[in-house]
Amino acid sequence: MGSRRVKNLIRNIRSHAFYNACLLVTISILSVILFAGIVVSRSLYKGMDNMQKRLGADIMLVPKGAKEKAENMLLEGSRSTFYFDASIYEKVAAVDGISEITSQCFLKSLSADCCSSEVEIVFFDPQSDFVVAPWIETEYRKDLSGNQVVVGNSISSEDGKIKLFGQEYPVVSKMAKTGTALDSSVYFTSEAMGEILENAEEKGSFLTEDQKNGGILSSIFINLKAGEKSEKVVESVHQVIGDIFDVVYPKQLHASLSGSLTKITGIVNIISFVLGGLLVLILLIINSILMNQRKQEVALFRVLGRTKRDLIRMLVSEMGLISISGAVIGCLLSAVIVIPFGAFIGRSLNMPYLGPGLAATMVSFALIVLGVFLIVFLASIFFIVHISSVDPYLAMRREE
Amino acid sequence: MLSAERVSKSYKAGRRHVLLDTDFSLDRGEFCAVMGESGSGKSTLLAIIAGILKPDRGVVRLDDQDLYALPDHEMARIHQKKIGYVPQSNILLKNYTVLENLILPFLSAKDQNEEALKEEAVALLEKLGVSDLADRYPYELSGGEQKRVSLGRALLMDPEIVIADEPTTGLDSSTGRIILSCLAEQAASGKSVLVATHDDHVKEYAGRVLDITKI
Repeated sequence: MGSRRVKNLIRNIRSHAFYNACLLVTISILSVILFAGIVVSRSLYKGMDNMQKRLGADIMLVPKGAKEKAENMLLEGSRSTFYFDASIYEKVAAVDGISEITSQCFLKSLSADCCSSEVEIVFFDPQSDFVVAPWIETEYRKDLSGNQVVVGNSISSEDGKIKLFGQEYPVVSKMAKTGTALDSSVYFTSEAMGEILENAEEKGSFLTEDQKNGGILSSIFINLKAGEKSEKVVESVHQVIGDIFDVVYPKQLHASLSGSLTKITGIVNIISFVLGGLLVLILLIINSILMNQRKQEVALFRVLGRTKRDLIRMLVSEMGLISISGAVIGCLLSAVIVIPFGAFIGRSLNMPYLGPGLAATMVSFALIVLGVFLIVFLASIFFIVHISSVDPYLAMRREE
Repeated sequence: MLSAERVSKSYKAGRRHVLLDTDFSLDRGEFCAVMGESGSGKSTLLAIIAGILKPDRGVVRLDDQDLYALPDHEMARIHQKKIGYVPQSNILLKNYTVLENLILPFLSAKDQNEEALKEEAVALLEKLGVSDLADRYPYELSGGEQKRVSLGRALLMDPEIVIADEPTTGLDSSTGRIILSCLAEQAASGKSVLVATHDDHVKEYAGRVLDITKI
């Protein structure tokens, strides 16, 4: 398309500035909704998928009464501490039907230098761990030593160190992003627990008697042998250690969240559909007014020797320019709103939220621009063909 | 050269008959004026002959070609090269200057050179006495000036036939004379000119004057 044509296209659009501006705003709003809907839905599904991978245990045992805290900690990022006596670990490990078992211990820090708020410190045993270690290995392949730390994805450590309870620790790796509370946790091996608890007490952190005495753990993660029923194993654990624990089933947690996610995305889809329908209706009305206004101009061009095809091409090009501009503006606005506030959206919905990568975002962007162009094309083609086909004389007379 | 055979046209879904089995022909180099009361069908006849209003019945022929049976691109070519039409109302593109209004509609044709068209447009505007308005916008022009620009636009491609609907209505007599002189010049140079009017001054210029009620 020559530069004169583009220039004329813009001048034609400016000739009907008000209605074309209405069209642009409507298309932008439509694009904001579509882009936000797609990005939020994708991020929630991605977060959920990631969480399922991260909670890779069949059963999680936590102290009696701490079930809700544990679930909230995993999903909402709330900071919690709860403890078992570490001696139960060996007893549980001896129960039949268990293929993998590991334990973790949680400690809340004071505000760390790295972070604007306190972080959750997780102590784990690299020898037995199958929940955290596989994710560290993706970025760090050496064994961790006692004072080395792996940080969650949301924790920044620009100088390669993190200060906790007055002591600096070298950050050796960062976890992959999960979209859950795990992103704002720091991970030490169990070896480091004694030193860190000591420092915590020195720095005035309130420690419970259990913490001071050491020999504690917060949760036990269990993977069952193939074909083994979780109820049977839980009953066996009961018999061994008594009624001192609650059970969190990460897979059930995932299933329940999947249900919520289906509901949320269903609502998002319905809202998008209703608003989208309403906006398409507005597009139809604006197009009808706009094309009616341009009847005379189109008739004049036909009287002066332009073909219908030429005029349809001119009008479709104008619509194309407006729709693509509107879609790009809408997607950019939506990206500015949705992408930086992704974590907030996830927290507000109580769902793991993992923003799509650049490639996926660009694909969504391109699909929306194309989709919006098609919607606008379909919403205007009837009017365009109609005004290009009406007898020019009648079109000119009706305007008199 | 151009003829209408038994053409009929009605409006309002056939409730208002304007033309009924009307015959008309226009010869080469002829200046013909169709006169009659408002609503008598003058403009409708001109529009049908100009190929911009399909009749309900009848045939319009240009050099033995059935005008309304032609494909769209052929009809467009005829409107661009052979028939110059001046509408009753002054329809100009509001965001374009006078000069752009003249040349823009014809720039889509592949064989048109923009500079050559501009030169011809300026010469036409000069002939019509509005060359100083070339860079003005339509809203800055009077009715008479707009009418002259409309006529200039119809003449730019040097058409064989010029059809003007009420070219002098609402204009002062001197502007009317400029327009009629220009149309007469076209006829004198071998072009066919057809006007619809109730301006009696036209009789001084037209070679044939027809009463629409008697066609």
